[in-house]
Amino acid sequence: MTAKAFDYNPQAADIFTREVMARSGQNIIACYQCKRCASGCPVAEDTDMVTPNRLIRMVVLGDIENALTNKLTWKCLFCHTCGTRCPNNIKTGRIADTLKKMALDAGIDPQQPEYKNFHRAFFNYSLRHGRINEIGMMGEFQLRNMWDHLKKRNYIAILSEIVGKSTLAWEMFKQKRLHLSYHSSKGREEISRLYKKSAGRKWI
Amino acid sequence: MDLAYYPGCSLYQSAKLYNHQTKLVFGMLGLHLKEIEDWSCCGATSAGKINDFMAVALPARNLGIAEDSGLSELVIPCSACYSRTMVAQKQLQDFPLLKNEINIELSKKTTGSIKVSSALDVLRREIRGSRFKSIPLQKLEGYNPACYYGCMNTRFPYDVPVADNVENPQGMETVLKAIGVTALDWNYKTLCCGASSIIYNPDSALDLMAKIMRDAVSRDADCFVVNCPMCQMNMESQQEKYCEKHDIKERLPVYFITELLGMAIGLSKEDLQPADNLFMNGMDWTDLCGDSV
Repeated sequence: MTAKAFDYNPQAADIFTREVMARSGQNIIACYQCKRCASGCPVAEDTDMVTPNRLIRMVVLGDIENALTNKLTWKCLFCHTCGTRCPNNIKTGRIADTLKKMALDAGIDPQQPEYKNFHRAFFNYSLRHGRINEIGMMGEFQLRNMWDHLKKRNYIAILSEIVGKSTLAWEMFKQKRLHLSYHSSKGREEISRLYKKSAGRKWI
Repeated sequence: MDLAYYPGCSLYQSAKLYNHQTKLVFGMLGLHLKEIEDWSCCGATSAGKINDFMAVALPARNLGIAEDSGLSELVIPCSACYSRTMVAQKQLQDFPLLKNEINIELSKKTTGSIKVSSALDVLRREIRGSRFKSIPLQKLEGYNPACYYGCMNTRFPYDVPVADNVENPQGMETVLKAIGVTALDWNYKTLCCGASSIIYNPDSALDLMAKIMRDAVSRDADCFVVNCPMCQMNMESQQEKYCEKHDIKERLPVYFITELLGMAIGLSKEDLQPADNLFMNGMDWTDLCGDSV
């Protein structure tokens, strides 16, 4: 918690708060810091004391940098315990989600490097094929990770990526969870038309 | 009775077992599941992380197809698909302009009118019906299962009507009670298992799973009963990892609710396994009737 009274910039705080509210659909100024969300949060133990209520406070105070880079924003699992317990029905999970999107928009690297690649791979695969095939999706995920490592000339990471994913595949094979069948949906054209429509939209 | 059925991607792949068992058990209860044609992925959590519009549009397409089938109820066994579809349906109702925008591109338009239920909702309702009461029950003895629901059954990222108690859901307990099994009362039945973050943030996810495991073990649970393919996959396939990380000696099998229910209504072990057993079945069948459980 670094926001100080001296640093408070009403205009910047207002613009930031409004954007977070519009994108997340949550009325965060209704928060009165009762901390019911904090006591239920499953990841709050290791987020350097940033609890959901404090995250909301950061946004309201316009502490943009901390709001986008704190550990809770990135560790939030989107489990919605905070949202169901909030007396003002603020779904803080969606705020954390929005902050992640805003951080990625602003070019901030995610704290878990694979976060972006995983969801991107899953989403793109579902658009391209209409349905998810786990092997294909994980393959795309792996390629995205390897491309990131390649850009940084980190060859050891590429190797460990190959070893790691092969181990995972072998474990899944042993547990009879590795599926080689392929399935897809013919609705891909409809889906890609919808996707074109979504270009540039920041919220639904 | 015919019901529209949306299996979802994971029930065609890693949770094929759940798809197989759901169809069988529903068949025994006189419910015919008609898979909606050419369904597509609901986007799961990932669509919402990248593109809010598509997070609504993807389930909207499936809703349109389900409504076009003329059936009154859409059954979704996978908790993630259920959650996404419920939320999208409510958002379509709340934002008519958004609905129009999406409908323009869809060949089967959605009105958002079909009733969406999870497989557990339907089971809970049907075990009070006459069809269930006429089935002779096999006695399942010596079980002390911990029913684990995870996040997606009762907590939604949008205000939708919730079918069960949010903090202490009773759906699976009710079903198990009907087949003569008493589930134990425990703390972490709705704690998050970490879901897909096991891929990109394994530390948090393993800690959470260990928490769940430790509480169940300390209350002498001998198995988990779940209704979410993601929870089942995490709790079972990661079990060695999280137990070793947190020094837990016990290992518990993780069953789908359909497995115990199927056993009780007289389906055999062979029936409950998918036929193609090279890559296609889910978990090893720990002998349900033996001492190992």
